[in-house]
Amino acid sequence: MAISPNGETSERERERGERRHRTEYGGRGRKKKMNNPVIKLCACSTMKRYVYIKDDESSHDLYCANRISNTKYNVLNFLPKNLWEQFSRFMNQYFLLIACLQLWSLITPVNPASTWGPLIFIFAVSATKEAWDDYHRYLSDRKANEKEVWVVRQGIKTHIQAQDIRLGNIVWLRENDEVPCDLVLIGTSDPQGVCYVETAALDGETDLKTRVIPSACMGIDLELLHKIKASFFAESSVGSPSSISVVVLFFFSTPMQGVIECPVPDKDIRRFNANLRLFPPFIDNDLCPLTIKNTILQSCYLRNTEWACGVAVYTGKFLYSCCQGHIAKWNETKLGMSRGIPEPKLTAVDAMIDKLTGAIFVFQIVVVMVLGVAGNVWKDTEARKQWYVQYPEDGPWYELLVIPLRFELLCSIMIPISIKVSLDLVKGLYAKFIEWDNKMIDHETSTPAHATNTAISEDLGQVEYILTDKTGTLTENRMIFRRCCINGIFYGNETGDALKDARLLNAVASGSPNVIRFLTVMAICNTVIPVQSKSGNIVYKAQSQDEDALVHAAAQLHMVFFNKSGNILEIKFNASIIRYEVLEILEFTSDRKRMSVVVKDCQNGKIILLSKGADEAILPYAAAGQQTRTFIEAVEQYAQLGLRTLCLAWCELEEDEYQEWSLMFKEASSTLVDREWRLAEVCQRLEHDLEILGVTAIEDRLQDGVPETIETLRKAGINFWMLTGDKQNTAIQIALSCNFVSPEPKGQLLLIDGKTEDEVRRSLERVLLTMKTTTSEPKDVAFVVDGWALEIALKHYRITFIELAILSRTAICCRVTPSQKAQLVEILKSCDYRTLAIGDGGNDVRMIQQADIGVGISGREGLQAARAADYSIGKFRFLKRLILVHGRYSYNRTAFLSQYSFYKSLVICFIQIFFSFISGVSGTSLFNSVSLMAYNVFYTSVPVLVSVLDKDLSEETVMQHPQILFYCQAGRLLNPSTFAGWFGRSLFHAIVVFVISIHAYAYEKSEMEEVSLVALSGCIWLQAFVMTLETNSFTILQHLAIWGNLIAFYIINWIFSAIPASGMYTIMFRLCRQPSYWITVFLIVAAGMGPILSLKFFRYTYRPSKINILQQAERLGGPILSLGNIEPQARSVEKEVSPMSITQPKNRNPVFEPLLSDSPNATRRSFGAGTPFDFFQSQSRLSSSSYSRNCKDN
Amino acid sequence: MDVDEASTSNNSIAIESTQPNSRRHKAIHQFTQQSLPACKPVLSPGWVIGIFLLMGTVFIPTGFITLRTSRNVVEIVDRYDTDCIPESFRSNKVAYMKDSSLPKNCSRFLKIEKHMKAPIYIYYQLDNFYQNHRRYVKSRSDQQLLHGLKYNDTSSCQPEEFSNGHPIVPCGLIAWSLFNDTYKFIRGRSELRINRKNIAWKSDRDHKFGKHVYALNFQNGTLIGGGSLDPSIPLSDQEDLIVWMRTAALPSFRKLYGRIEEDLEADDVVVVKLMNNYNTHSFGGKKKLILSTSSWLGGKNDFLGASYIFVGSSCIFISLVFLLLHMKNPR
Repeated sequence: MAISPNGETSERERERGERRHRTEYGGRGRKKKMNNPVIKLCACSTMKRYVYIKDDESSHDLYCANRISNTKYNVLNFLPKNLWEQFSRFMNQYFLLIACLQLWSLITPVNPASTWGPLIFIFAVSATKEAWDDYHRYLSDRKANEKEVWVVRQGIKTHIQAQDIRLGNIVWLRENDEVPCDLVLIGTSDPQGVCYVETAALDGETDLKTRVIPSACMGIDLELLHKIKASFFAESSVGSPSSISVVVLFFFSTPMQGVIECPVPDKDIRRFNANLRLFPPFIDNDLCPLTIKNTILQSCYLRNTEWACGVAVYTGKFLYSCCQGHIAKWNETKLGMSRGIPEPKLTAVDAMIDKLTGAIFVFQIVVVMVLGVAGNVWKDTEARKQWYVQYPEDGPWYELLVIPLRFELLCSIMIPISIKVSLDLVKGLYAKFIEWDNKMIDHETSTPAHATNTAISEDLGQVEYILTDKTGTLTENRMIFRRCCINGIFYGNETGDALKDARLLNAVASGSPNVIRFLTVMAICNTVIPVQSKSGNIVYKAQSQDEDALVHAAAQLHMVFFNKSGNILEIKFNASIIRYEVLEILEFTSDRKRMSVVVKDCQNGKIILLSKGADEAILPYAAAGQQTRTFIEAVEQYAQLGLRTLCLAWCELEEDEYQEWSLMFKEASSTLVDREWRLAEVCQRLEHDLEILGVTAIEDRLQDGVPETIETLRKAGINFWMLTGDKQNTAIQIALSCNFVSPEPKGQLLLIDGKTEDEVRRSLERVLLTMKTTTSEPKDVAFVVDGWALEIALKHYRITFIELAILSRTAICCRVTPSQKAQLVEILKSCDYRTLAIGDGGNDVRMIQQADIGVGISGREGLQAARAADYSIGKFRFLKRLILVHGRYSYNRTAFLSQYSFYKSLVICFIQIFFSFISGVSGTSLFNSVSLMAYNVFYTSVPVLVSVLDKDLSEETVMQHPQILFYCQAGRLLNPSTFAGWFGRSLFHAIVVFVISIHAYAYEKSEMEEVSLVALSGCIWLQAFVMTLETNSFTILQHLAIWGNLIAFYIINWIFSAIPASGMYTIMFRLCRQPSYWITVFLIVAAGMGPILSLKFFRYTYRPSKINILQQAERLGGPILSLGNIEPQARSVEKEVSPMSITQPKNRNPVFEPLLSDSPNATRRSFGAGTPFDFFQSQSRLSSSSYSRNCKDN
Repeated sequence: MDVDEASTSNNSIAIESTQPNSRRHKAIHQFTQQSLPACKPVLSPGWVIGIFLLMGTVFIPTGFITLRTSRNVVEIVDRYDTDCIPESFRSNKVAYMKDSSLPKNCSRFLKIEKHMKAPIYIYYQLDNFYQNHRRYVKSRSDQQLLHGLKYNDTSSCQPEEFSNGHPIVPCGLIAWSLFNDTYKFIRGRSELRINRKNIAWKSDRDHKFGKHVYALNFQNGTLIGGGSLDPSIPLSDQEDLIVWMRTAALPSFRKLYGRIEEDLEADDVVVVKLMNNYNTHSFGGKKKLILSTSSWLGGKNDFLGASYIFVGSSCIFISLVFLLLHMKNPR
């Protein structure tokens, strides 16, 4: 429920909420209260649920209504819930505690407003943001909820809103409707009870799936169903939830009842084990088993079917809120369950900031305790003698606590209250920069990049593993028939397109029998469904893109497959229509690697076996005496071009041979044990003595720039894993063609396969051994694993597999399921790697959500992945820019901003601490409330915000030298060591400011307000120069912010100095007239900045990091001239990087880091032994020590 | 990548050509594309050495000028807290200070070393006196000082808020501990005229202390702190109080007592007749009397000058080191 735009809607919302409440809880009112809805389900129906076919608007429904609610709040609970949420964060609790302590005037050093003001502001900002987001969620929910669907209600087909669908309702769908909830089919427009659905949203497969009505429902003939359509009359009686209740469905005067027994919702989209029983007077009232074939699931689309109707069995929708990841609500549909729960993502930078905050907190506690004790001691030994202080002899019981608490409040600013707001702001801006980026607009579809998750841009710069889907992500997912070899003749070699090869066209025109047969196989040896569109064009709905390409190509060569009615296929060839009757389909399996159809030529009654498949699955079965050498050559030649090859074959069968085989086939199909194996065996009996017709070559074009992108990113030290549902060979081919692995002999692919545990284990160990031994050779080693072996490996040999995973920079996983993809992501994450998953289809959604960063390609497979992802881009090649430019800049900027925020707070805090030593350790604040508040939320927060425009290197330089990303990956710009540098700097600056202020303003000038303002001015001036020194590129905005802020400081203080009631009355005017003030300020600047400038210069010139080198190259010598001296080095090393990566220790060692530095020579993780930092070597990431450590983690 | 760049350049050209005159639009475009024209300074040896040299050449002369100014200030410091206690009470100074029946007057002889030009400022200095102690610094009521009894929320003045059940004006520890030593200066035979007016900030007199607020019930309690106030003079004219109420940030501070508006010649001897009323012995504090001339930088304070010279010479040194490094190892 959401913040409603006006009262009326909120009224409706509430009412709806109540109704929902009733439906959810009403039925179980008597039961013990149970908080988790899923548990409730289990409790009332143990493992099963019974769905009664009915048509009333039962409000006593056991299960949830079909309502989406992604919203977190409603008008009433917004404030408490939001506050509760905000205060569940440690930082906010801390600030609240501080703010509350400040209300105690005995201990507060400053006006409580100095904390309450910023606190309330910060809370208001994040509450507003939440409210805004929630409102938008509410709007989109409402749109989905109020979508109209046809449902039978009170016997009449009525339009209701999608949210009102109840379990057991009969839902009617028309062609191209989206399925609103999971349904069991009971009728379709097709006389055979078939309908087609597109499940792209669910599993990412774009082909049409056939779904049939259960056999029991076959009895309901078309006429009856139409009558149902016309009028339905129903009555229901719902008993208590635990007892079996009966819903009666009257059919005219004939009572029709049905019950569906189905399991508790799960996430398996390929399994549905349920039973349907229709009650008398239906003829067939035995228990009828239901499978996934009988269902249509939520968010699929009904295609090529005029209408269908089904019984709602699972309702509810995916309920989650994108930013917080709260899934508290109901989500029973298969889609919802299989999507998984998106966890809130926390970037490595955030985690580091939290860690540093924790460290500062500990430091603060120590300081407070030390000063507290010192203060109490001083009080007892000294203060009691100071008669003018009038310390009472006996204080209250809490007296000992007073001074420590005062110091706690004084030091509370060590943790800057502004950091969260600043970070949220800049993160929002990073996301905007991504969305605004003109260079990431896909001009084909004019889709700009989109950042759904605005909080994780820094992680982009720290990616170590990219897991990518293949089809549609790397490739365009557009298969095109390119070449073929028929009967030893190569077509398309010259033009690169067989369809334009005049020789082939001539052969077709002249009716060469070999070519005709070849085309026939292309056209009908498949499971494609041709659909006649309204304009008369034929659209093919194919299970696989290859078949689609073949059928299209055949059609272009005048062999048009234009109709399929039942088992009859109709083909138009040069104006003559040829009919074939499909007798059997020998389906494709990954073991057989081929598929065949047995058809009967309707003209002459001949029975023909048509086969197509991989070369190794077809060529060995060629008829004796046939020359297959040219075909082998063709296959090799095509494979080297990166084309997908298929061999086509044909075989005429004798009638009795077929009949005999057909019996065996039927028998095998009905076996219950080892059906697949038996079927394969039977198929094999038919598939021999084939006449090889030729080889086809299909191209799945890589997207533009994919190889370059992958090469650049691999140079940047990112490891690529390809996870695809595709065949192993295709996957390897694509991998080769997009620089994933180098071709032989440099690259080496290690195969992990096996059917049994033992085989997999042996294969795994062998690969691991090879991997370890080949590490010294300059080889690009990748392992290839298929889904089956992966499953076994993950189940039984997880640790070995993880070891392998860490060793391997490249992996190809084929035939993996969506959940295996997610599992792989999880494995890498568990080894503490930053993972990025990129995909385009619904089957990638889980992996995208599982990964640290999910990137969706808004491509041809719909927007499923893009919607679930944190970022969506139009083309794979934008990934380079997303990571190298946006990710890197975001990381650098956040690293600076967060450390600077701590630095500036620490400066002021140290000054306060020093001052306490000359004020009797009593906890006096040197600065007044106004100054402190303005310092934190204004003077130092505004200038740092423009650091989002800072660029240490130009985009072009980064693109040319992707290795530089290493600094971000290893977290060299933000880690305890760099932070120590900032900490040291703050200490140094505090000493400078404090010492100079109190000495320059000593004796007759030591007036409190003046000294305080002198010290504050010193700080502000230093901040301006620190910002200047740390800024790499100055745009006009930076100048405005830095120097404008300095001017604003004076203006603000003049204003306060003009108010008689303020404590600072006249002080600033007085100071500005004193020459000694200016002399003091300049002294502070010179003394504070001199050492820092010289240190920075020294490092920059004599101990430069690679970033510095590139900076110098970019700015001084111009790119071409000066790159000379790094380029060859980079190149030559790059050649060896991949092999070396395995031998070299993961070279991310903390290196000695002097204070006052900003240089990144340190690491967020410390692995391995302390070898000196070397940039290029450090690209390597793997070492025995690191993986053993990582393995231990698991 | 080539494709990207080609397309964007087309894009930007398109944008520029459609809006040729719109500078704002162009700026926004540059901002969104993160391509605002930027200047990228380089820490080149020339620049850095130049900066340090420049800093050195500016700072060293400034330091010398500042130091000279400070040195030209003539300052006479006389610590009198112990010396003004009669020998017999040296062992128990606190008892002497607390006994109000004993005479507190004391004479000091100050020899003028150098010619001192009017105006000569008279300061009293307290050492080890924590005017910045939290308990002390908070114990005042600015509102009461301005509005008097009309403002009665004086809880911040604890523990000097009420005396004998009646509110104290001015309340609080600071006022209560008002410094009450007095000085008279005699040169030769005649008494030097001391201007005790305008020693407090004008802004304080006009806006911080009420013109119609009179001391009330002040120093009336059992515990007598420092000086007392004339209840017939409004607070805005009690300049000693106003000066005292400007709390010092350091435990050692000087406060203005008055001005001698005639020159003192070298070798003059000034006799100071002082009333040693203020007790600093209980906490080991020192009391000093200071006669000082003034410069454009204020009183005598060598710190700034010395620091400038130090920083300036460090800069020169650093620039020389870098210069050497650069010559030896040019990059």
